Amino acid sequence: MDRFNFINPFGVRYQPDTVAGDFYTNNFAKKAESNTIILNLGPQHPSTHGVLRVIVELDGEYVLRAEPVLGYLHRMHEKMGEVKTPWQFLPNMGRVDYLHPIAWNWVHVGAVERLAGITVPERAEYLRVISCELNRVASHLMWWGAFVMDLGGVTPILYAFEEREKINDILQIVSGSRLTISYFRFGGVSADADDRFLRLTAEFVPYLRQRLKMYQALVTDNIILRRRLEKVGPIGVDMCQRYGATGPVLRAAGLNRDTRRDIPYSVYPKFDFNIPTGPVDDCLGRYLVRLAEIEASLSIIEQALESLPAGPILPPKAPKPTFKLPAGESYFAVEGARGQIGLHLISDGGKTPYRVKLRAPGFSNLSLFAEAARGTLLADAIAILGSLDLVIPEVDR
Amino acid sequence: MPSLDSRIARWRQIGTLSISRHDFRVEGLLLSAVVALDKLLEFVKTLYIDGFTLLDISTLQAKEGFLITYHFDSINDPGRLALRVLVPTNNPVVPSLNNIFQGAEWHERESTDFFGVRFSGNPNPVPLLLPDDFDGPPPLLKSPESLAPLSALGLFGTIESAEPAFAALIDPKADQG
Repeated sequence: MDRFNFINPFGVRYQPDTVAGDFYTNNFAKKAESNTIILNLGPQHPSTHGVLRVIVELDGEYVLRAEPVLGYLHRMHEKMGEVKTPWQFLPNMGRVDYLHPIAWNWVHVGAVERLAGITVPERAEYLRVISCELNRVASHLMWWGAFVMDLGGVTPILYAFEEREKINDILQIVSGSRLTISYFRFGGVSADADDRFLRLTAEFVPYLRQRLKMYQALVTDNIILRRRLEKVGPIGVDMCQRYGATGPVLRAAGLNRDTRRDIPYSVYPKFDFNIPTGPVDDCLGRYLVRLAEIEASLSIIEQALESLPAGPILPPKAPKPTFKLPAGESYFAVEGARGQIGLHLISDGGKTPYRVKLRAPGFSNLSLFAEAARGTLLADAIAILGSLDLVIPEVDR
Repeated sequence: MPSLDSRIARWRQIGTLSISRHDFRVEGLLLSAVVALDKLLEFVKTLYIDGFTLLDISTLQAKEGFLITYHFDSINDPGRLALRVLVPTNNPVVPSLNNIFQGAEWHERESTDFFGVRFSGNPNPVPLLLPDDFDGPPPLLKSPESLAPLSALGLFGTIESAEPAFAALIDPKADQG
């Protein structure tokens, strides 16, 4: 039988193009050794959290090489930033990272406020902190559920969704949306917190603390989970430095770095919070750091609720949609759930910015995967991928 | 981390086209330097040894060419620095940082996708974010009439020192004079 010209039992003609692989597979296969398997994970593999694709070269069950293929969710946000006014670009930010949209809201309004010299009223700063931290907790919960599901435990994500649902309900009160939130405005926020928002947030903090105890007993102390994570995928300080990794990945490597404290913005210096760092730099270390960060965020929310000042949520001369940016450059960095988010804004004084550059932490964190996965079991590579906490629209932008 | 003044002295020793101080609160940068292409890797190596990490590579198209900015942050204590190179629009080729910072590979491929800037020595120079069969012009290229001169973009903070030939490019006052 001709290998490249036959019709299979279902009446479908063999398609050399699709079977032999596309451009990226062929490009990857050029460096393959003999007697190895080239396997495509994704772009729709459930453990890739969206549409990430990873090509791996396998020797038996061991990964010899891996190469993530990006771009399936690329939307050219940077171009949109150049053709839209800052106001029109605002809703884009919630769509860059759908799990922590408020951090992206912040980085955009922050860069514009710095460039235009807009001051934010204190109440608005507090509301920003509360909503951003609630959102971070929701993001970490979602990661927690999805990560354990990657490892084969389907139940925890159902618990995580219950908690996340409560946060969505709370954020909906002020922002009107549940996923691609666009709550921040230049100079403040779009809506003031009402009694219901404050009451539900205050009730949520002790509730989640109670639940975290259950997570500990149910999942974290589970011997199967420990065996899957311990000593798997060590990512040390040197690797983080060479790839520019930030956030929980860097903190699990033992470095006490957090943008909220290192490059203080908003009212974060007023709060006393713990920056958890990992005792170990493997998958379990990254797992423990994120769970400890949930508690740190809850503590910030609690303190912010206690000292929430009264006052306006927008400054008297808040920019109108027609406002123009002055010429110059500004940079704003915030600590997102996945690491340091940055927005570099360059304006020539025109209607729209001259250049908008988005720095996505997931992009740098994912770039180290190829090195971290080399020589591991395929199942462990999936654990490493999950432990990086990827949100593909953010990686692809 | 050595102090800013000693960093400036070291940079001067290697040789820069210009050095600027920045307002950290607005620009998020302490220092930036524009360097010649053939000295870029030497600068990057000293930053790696001093414990800096590469945060991103940001390309900008101006009238004078592509300004490629490498943002670095110290891994131990906060303090962002930037190295910049200027390459001509008609033949933009920059040496790859991949041998020092492996994370540069993707940032460089992104710049190739968006601007058509090429990086010699990149180990895998294929499209990263755009599809492999994308046949349009690089999406972030600007039309010649919408290009701004470098001096109009306020990128250079307080200029600490500059080569005379380069000062005319970046200093608005020198531009008017």
